[in-house]
This record gives sequence, structure tokens and C-alpha cells, in this order.
Amino acid sequence: MASGTRKGGMAAPRDGFLSFKTDLNPSGPKNKKKKQLNKNKKKSWGKHSDVRDVEEFLEDVRFQERTVGGLISEKPDDSLFFVDAGGERRDSNLDKDKPLQDDVILQPDSRIPAPTDVSSGLDSEKPDGSRHRKDKPLRIDVILQSDSRIPAPKDVLAHQIPNAKKLRVIAQRAQQLEARGVVPRQQRLLQARLQRSLARKGKANKPAANNDPQRGFYDLWSGAAAETADPWYLQQTKKMLVKRPARLNVKPSTLPAVEVPAPGASYNPDFLSHQALLRQGHEIELKKQKAELRLERQLAFPKEQIATRESVFQEEVEGLIEDSEDEGPHDEYTPQYQAASREKKTERQRKWERQLREREKRWKALRQARDRQQQLFRLRSLKAEVLRQEETTGLRKEARRAKKLEEESMPRRLGKLKYQEPDLDLQLSSEMAGSLRKLKPEGSILKDRFKSLQKRNLIEPRERAKFVRKHKLKYVEKRAFREVTL
Amino acid sequence: MGGVEKKKYERGAATNYITRNKARKKLQLSLADFRRLCILKGIYPHEPKHKKVVNKGSTAPRTFYLLKDIRFLLHEPIVNKFREYKVFVRKLRKAYGKAEWTAVQRLRDNKPSYKLDHIIKERYPTFIDALRDLDDTLSMCFLFSTFARTGKCHVQTIQLCRRLTVEWMNYIITSRCLQKVFLSIKGIYYQADVLGQLITWLVPYQFAHNHPTDVDYRVMATFTEFYTTLLGFVNFRLYQTLNLAYPPKLDSKDEAELRAENDEAYAMDSESYLEKLSALSASLARVVSSSEEEEVELDQFPVEGEDVEQLEARQKEQLQTEAHKKIFEGLKFFLNREVPREPLAFIIRCFGGLVSWDKSVCIGGTFDVTDETITHQIVDRPSLDKQYINRYYVQPQWVFDCVNASLRLPVEDYFAGVTLPPHLSPFVVEKDGDYVPPEKLRLRALQRGEKPENAESSEEEEDEEEDDNDEEEGSDDEDLDEEEESDERNLKKMEQQRAQGKALPVKVTAGKVKAENRARSEQEEQAEEKRLAIMMMKKREKYLYDKIMFGKKRKVREANKLAAKRKVHDETTKAEKKKKKAKK
Repeated sequence: MASGTRKGGMAAPRDGFLSFKTDLNPSGPKNKKKKQLNKNKKKSWGKHSDVRDVEEFLEDVRFQERTVGGLISEKPDDSLFFVDAGGERRDSNLDKDKPLQDDVILQPDSRIPAPTDVSSGLDSEKPDGSRHRKDKPLRIDVILQSDSRIPAPKDVLAHQIPNAKKLRVIAQRAQQLEARGVVPRQQRLLQARLQRSLARKGKANKPAANNDPQRGFYDLWSGAAAETADPWYLQQTKKMLVKRPARLNVKPSTLPAVEVPAPGASYNPDFLSHQALLRQGHEIELKKQKAELRLERQLAFPKEQIATRESVFQEEVEGLIEDSEDEGPHDEYTPQYQAASREKKTERQRKWERQLREREKRWKALRQARDRQQQLFRLRSLKAEVLRQEETTGLRKEARRAKKLEEESMPRRLGKLKYQEPDLDLQLSSEMAGSLRKLKPEGSILKDRFKSLQKRNLIEPRERAKFVRKHKLKYVEKRAFREVTL
Repeated sequence: MGGVEKKKYERGAATNYITRNKARKKLQLSLADFRRLCILKGIYPHEPKHKKVVNKGSTAPRTFYLLKDIRFLLHEPIVNKFREYKVFVRKLRKAYGKAEWTAVQRLRDNKPSYKLDHIIKERYPTFIDALRDLDDTLSMCFLFSTFARTGKCHVQTIQLCRRLTVEWMNYIITSRCLQKVFLSIKGIYYQADVLGQLITWLVPYQFAHNHPTDVDYRVMATFTEFYTTLLGFVNFRLYQTLNLAYPPKLDSKDEAELRAENDEAYAMDSESYLEKLSALSASLARVVSSSEEEEVELDQFPVEGEDVEQLEARQKEQLQTEAHKKIFEGLKFFLNREVPREPLAFIIRCFGGLVSWDKSVCIGGTFDVTDETITHQIVDRPSLDKQYINRYYVQPQWVFDCVNASLRLPVEDYFAGVTLPPHLSPFVVEKDGDYVPPEKLRLRALQRGEKPENAESSEEEEDEEEDDNDEEEGSDDEDLDEEEESDERNLKKMEQQRAQGKALPVKVTAGKVKAENRARSEQEEQAEEKRLAIMMMKKREKYLYDKIMFGKKRKVREANKLAAKRKVHDETTKAEKKKKKAKK
């Protein structure tokens, strides 16, 4: 039987189940007279046997599983029913002011103030500021909240409390216990839980995020940090901070961090300084324009290569007309190989040459000696000469040093791109505001700061990464509509 | 020939540098993390002297770092944190993808974070080092604190920047060390002297930003992260030096006042506290409550190698700075709604004034418009419907110009609706011989304690005068030319006389004893000496001397030219004004 194989205990006693649909099946087949049939064959068994009740039963089981999540009969009692204590009846229509159960539980009810958490400024809030998930009302509560305008029917029980006496006794007892200093069990457990969670938080001791607006600061430069551990141990375990080399504390540029603009950039400038600033801007623009024009000129099509009518014609008939002149006789000149056809020098010639060389040498030596002797009389001028030379070298040295100094304040070439000077911020005379109220600020300070960082060689100039499409886009016409072509 | 073959690029410059990509690989970091690390640790790229050698023969432009720097980075504990963070992000992404919300929550709770304290200590070993690098820090923090919370950067960063900048401004107010303000078209430049260090910073105007696209926000955010930490520690230390409580607290007296004023308007106490602090109207609480500021006269000791004159000069300078700090003392300002509240409140409070504003502008106003004791009301509109008789209505530029001139300027030039005199940059230092705008000359005269007469100050009056008789000219120039003119007049007289009567009225009078002017003779002697010295100069020296003198003269000439230009400009504007008046 197909139904029996599903679960072991399911097919057994029928009365064990509490059927939802008891009246749906008023024993239909019982009323009719049963047909006599042969059930000697498997086929007829399958055809004529009545399995409706089994089917219904299984349907019921499935229904229960779907709705309740299991068989109701197998559920424990306290999951199905609850003891109506009655005390809550009074405010049963879910007043909104009532705090969530979680909040009530989490509220510390001890007189002693909770130990303040030093590591984090806020307890309940997470470092990123969002409230904890638990603190939000449950969605189900929100759904269950009545939104009807019609007030709830008057409750008979509103004025009488069921089990009032019992409750009173309980409350009295609780009071007595409290007077004696006995904490009820439930509260004790809650306290313990709270303590545990606090302890856990303390143990983790997470540092607050760097950009936490409530983060604390302390005196960083008050003195040497107390290094408790053995320096040798620290060094060997690579826990010792390496000393920063002094070279890193030298700034890569001598430029000031904040460059104050020229007086012409005042919001209400003096006439002449404003003119000076305008002139400066104008010169920059001129330079840019000049560069642009130059590029244009260089890229322009050369005039002499523009096709004229003749040249076009010439091109068209190229090869059609045979040029007879071209076929003129070539020069039959071929450079002849000049063979070395020198005669040998005679002995006499060699001797003569040797003598010449020797004479030259002797003469040179003589000359040198005489010059040296002569220098003795030139001492004064020599001295002047040396002085002059020293002066020129000194000047050059100075120039070199000045150049180096100047270079220190220049932006360096640190990467693929060169540093580009930002546009000069200025306002034309027509744009200038007469008063502070009407002032329109010029340029962006963010960009100014960014460019300043680049100018001072702190970061390399970069371009924003371009979006590169990996695959080509394909054009597809949808069937729904087609592109209109006229 | 023996020996091992020397290979190229295995010694020298090539081994001292490392390319960025190699450095990144060595540190096992992504490019973004590497860049962040470099910024935090203060390690910057280098341009080698011989690029081709360093680049192993290639001329491709690359970014180089010093190998030693990268080796130093290897020891940084933050590198590990970066790696941890990378793993965290990966796990989180995975959990999200699988919709495992508890796992997401757990991961979030254990998000790795790092501290920059040790890096700041390492980069700025002393407090003064940190102070020296504060220009950048302040500019960046002020900039970020004005950002809209639109997701360009973390909201928390913006909040932290705001908090730190408010703390800074409160410190400056309490220590009274602001010196210069310059309103430029970009933003407001401030300069303060904090513990002997001149600190300049830039504060944007309070208008909406247009976010430029060619700025790398990630890089800027990294800088800001570092700078916020630095500024926090610096603030703490600065507050300590003034004996102020560090998370700044309002003075209990002031706080009570403020609370009484407007408690119902603002809801949350925690929220409004920062607002009250940023209102800058109340003073801060001290750790040791000093009952009253006892001013102890310090004994003056001459520094070694300093004579009496220098000492006196120093004392005079000190007195001046003291006076500068108190220029608004005893004044009561009220800010109209249309003027920028924060910079004005900041500056007025920095120089000892009392300031308040309309309740609708901001929390923390201490008195009303109706207060009779208000001395100055700052307005920026052409006309007002209701005016009190016992207070000045001045435009905001008056406050800034007073600070720069370090004295209370005459208010007449700055009345509401009046065309303002130019706002000069206090950061310009003129050398002698440079062109100085007439406004500045006037200001200097004022500073010297002279009373300017009918110069440009009372332009209106002058205009009226000129309507009557068009003979007066700028009086500054007249002073200079007076002597020459008198000479000329004498000459003219003599000539006229000669023309009238041919015979000159020649008379012999008794001689007078000419009193020998000692100073004059001394001067003449000096001039003569100088002339002789010039004559005795060698040729080369003479050449140099001539060159220098020529340069000086040229400077003077240029300055004169500019002055003449200015005069022409002024005249044209005046003429235009007159025309307008005539039309009216």
C-alpha cells in the first residue's frame, strides 16, 4: 500500500489522529450496497478497492503538516495551549507605548550603576551607528497591530481581574521576598545573562573605529610609553616597532601646505591687484592658446600637398602617356676602383722624414722650457687668472645651488603623468560681488587641496581609470517593436 | 682578463629604488591598500636622478619608491590589519551572497579595525612637530566637515571632522591667538599663532559644493583619516595647556543661560550639545576653575646680548599684540540673518567681543535684537526698516578689516548700503619700493595714530565738495609735492616781477647770522661720503652697484606708474559717480 510506506506510525491507529475535516466524509460508501467483485487479480484489486478514506487521511496529515508544522496529536500541550493568566487582559488591545519585551529584559534593574565601558562610547549602539537588530520591533508585532478605526468591543473582563486574589498573594509574597533581599529567580537569571554579555564585550575589547565621532583621545606626547616586556624578547618576536629613519621626516617639497592666493583674489579686491591677477590669468590663457595653435599648425595638411587641377590630371594620366625623355641615355660613369699604386719610399726620403720629426720634437721641448721660464715673469697675471677662474666656478656653484633650491619646490615627475597646474581662480570685474552676501565662491577647495598634495610630491598625479568594455555591444532588435526606419 | 663578469643593474642606483608594483607585491597588498599605507606612514614616491639606470634600461615612466622605505613598511603592524580586512570583506561578501544573515551579523560584530596612534607618535615625535604640520590637517578637516552627507564619504568621518574643527575653533577663541583673516573668492584664510607656530588654514564658505570628478576621493579620505586622528591628539594637548576640560564642556554658568533660553526648540540633549559648542557663543569649562583671570605682571629680563632699545622694542611689540587681542573687548555684536554666522562669531569671540544672533539662525544666541546694549549690528542688506539709534549698522567686512588692521577702524566707511573699501590681503608683505595701494597707506597712517583728513574716507563728502569747486585733489599727493610747488610759486612771482618792472627791486639789507643746521650738515656730510665711496669703487663693484640701484629705481618707477594708474582709475570712477548723481 502506497500510503503505508510514508511513515511508520502513520498508517496505524486511525483514532489516534485528530482530524480537521471530520464532517467532510460522512461515511459515503456505507450507504450503498457493495458490488460483488472478484479480486483475484491484481488489476481488479487496484481498480475496485476503495482507497478514498486512506487518501483523505493522508490529505489531512499533509494539511496539518502544512499549517501547524507537524501532527497536532504529537505536539506537546504547552505548544498548543497557554494558560491565560488574565492579568494582561486589561491592555490586551496592544497599546503602543508598551516597551518591547526585549527592552524590558535588557533594562538593568540593579541599583548599582553598570560598569561603564571604557572602550566604546556607546553601549547599545554599534560602532557604525545603526541600532541593533534586536531593538527593532518584530515584524509580526507590527502586522498584528490593529489598524481599524472601530474600537474594540467592550471587554467584560475589563473591570474584574480573574484570579485576583491569587495574584495579590503572589505580589505580596514577592514584596516580602524583596524586603528580605531575595531576588526572584527569573530576574537573577536575567542579571547573570547581562553580566555574561558585558564580560564578553570587555574581553573582546574591540577598539572603536578610527572615524567614530565619539572616539576619545589622550595625551600622546606625555612621555615614553611604558614598555613592559623585555626589549630583546620584543625584538626577536618582531613585536618591537622599528625606528623611523630620519630621512622620512623631510618633506618632499619646500612649498607651504596652504598657499594664500594673490591679493587680487580677495572677494572685494583693490583695483590694481585685481588687474594684476587678471593679467596673470590672461597670460596663462594666451600660453595655452599658443600651444593649441601650434599643434593645429603642425597637424594641418601642408599647403604644397593640396591637389591642384594639374596635379589631379597628372595623377589620372600617370602611366598612360609615355615619357620619352625619361628614356634618355644614362651616364656610363662607373667609379673605378683605385688600386694602391704607390711607389716605395727611398731610404733617403725616410731619413729626411726622421730628421724632420726629431727637429720638431726638439723644438717643442725648447719652446716648453722657454714658456715655463717666461711664466715666472707672468706671476701677477697668472694670479689674476686663477682668481678669475675661481670666481667663475664660485658663480656657477651658486647658480647650481639656487637651481637646486628652486627645484625642491617644483613638482617632480613621479609617474606616467606630469603635474598639471590647476586653473587660476579669478573673477572677472563683471562677476565680482559687492558684498559678502552676494559672493559666489570660485573653484573647488577639494580640488585645490588635491592639487596641492600633488604639487608637493605627496602623491603622484593620476588619471581616473577609464571604463573599458570587455565585450562588444551587440545590437538586437526586439520582437516587440522594431526600429523605425524612414 | 680574469674575474667574474659584472652584470648591469646589480649595483648603484638601480638597487636603491623599487617600482610601485614591485613594492606592492613585496608587501602583498592591493594597490588601494598600498596607497593608503603609504599615505598613513608618510612615504612618498621619489624621482630618481638617473631614471634610465634605475629603470634597468627602459625609459617607460614609472613610479619609484626607495627600497629602504618599503623595507621599513614591512615592519608596520597595520599591514596585517589590511590583510585581515581584505579577508573580512571576502567573508562578508560570501555570507551576503548566501543570505546567511546571522553570519553577516557575526562578521560585522567582529569587523577588524586599526589604530593610528602609534603612527602619529612615530611621525611626530614631539608635539611641536605635530603643530607644524597642522595647516594641511585643519584645511582638510574643515573641508570635510562641510560636506553634504550624500555618500561621497562616510557620514561618521564628516561628523568627526565637525567635532574636531569645533574643538579647534573653541581653542582658538579661548587662547585668543588668531592673527589674520582673508576673505578670498575661494574660501576664508585664517592665520593663528599657536604656541609660537604660525598656522594657516582654509575654511570653505558655507555653500553647497560641486563635487569635482577628477579628485580621487579615496585618497582624500585616507588623508582625512590620518589628519582627524592627529587633530584629535593635538586638540587634547592644546586643551590641556589651557587647563580646559577635554571633551570640551560649556561653562556651567553659560550653559545654564543657554538652557534657559531655548530648551524647547531643540529636542535631544546629546545632539544639541555639539550644536551649542559649535555656536561658539559660550566659554568653555576649565578643569581647575580659575575664579577670575589674575593678570600677573611678569618681570622683564633682558635676553643676553640685547640692549635697552631692543628690550623696549620688544615690550612695545608685546603691548601691541596684547592690544590686538582685545580690539572687540566691551563691544556687543548682533548678527543679522543674512551674514555668515560662523566665521563672524568665531572672529568676534576671538577678539573678546560678545556676539548673538537671531533665534532662527542657530542655537546659542545670548541676547535679542531688542537689547539696548548692543553696540554694533552686522547687516549685509542695502536698507533696514527698523533701526536703533544707539548702535552702528556695519557691513561684515568691518570685522575682518579691523582684525587685519589690529585696530577699530572708523565705522563710517562700512555703514550699511555704503560702497565698501577694498578688502586687502593681510598676507602680503611689501618690501620698500613696492607699490602700496592708497588704502593701505591710509591704514598705516591710522595705525600710527594719525587722523586722516578728507582722504578717500569721506568720499561722499568729497564728492559734494567737488561739486562746488573742482580744484581739490587727493591730499596724499599734495603733501609730497608741497615743497616743489612753493618753490615754483616763488619762481613764478619773481618772473612776473621781472616782466612788470625791468629793474629788480635790489636792496642791501643787513646780514643775518645763519644758524647752522647741525642735522642738515651731518646729512650732507654723509651724502658726500657716500658719493666719494661710490667714486672709489672698483669697476666690477661699481657695475654691481649700478645694477642694484637701477633695480631699485625701476621698482620705484613701476610703483609710481601703478599709483598714477590708480589715480586715473579713481578719477574715472568719481566722474562716473558724479554723472550718476547728475542724472538723479
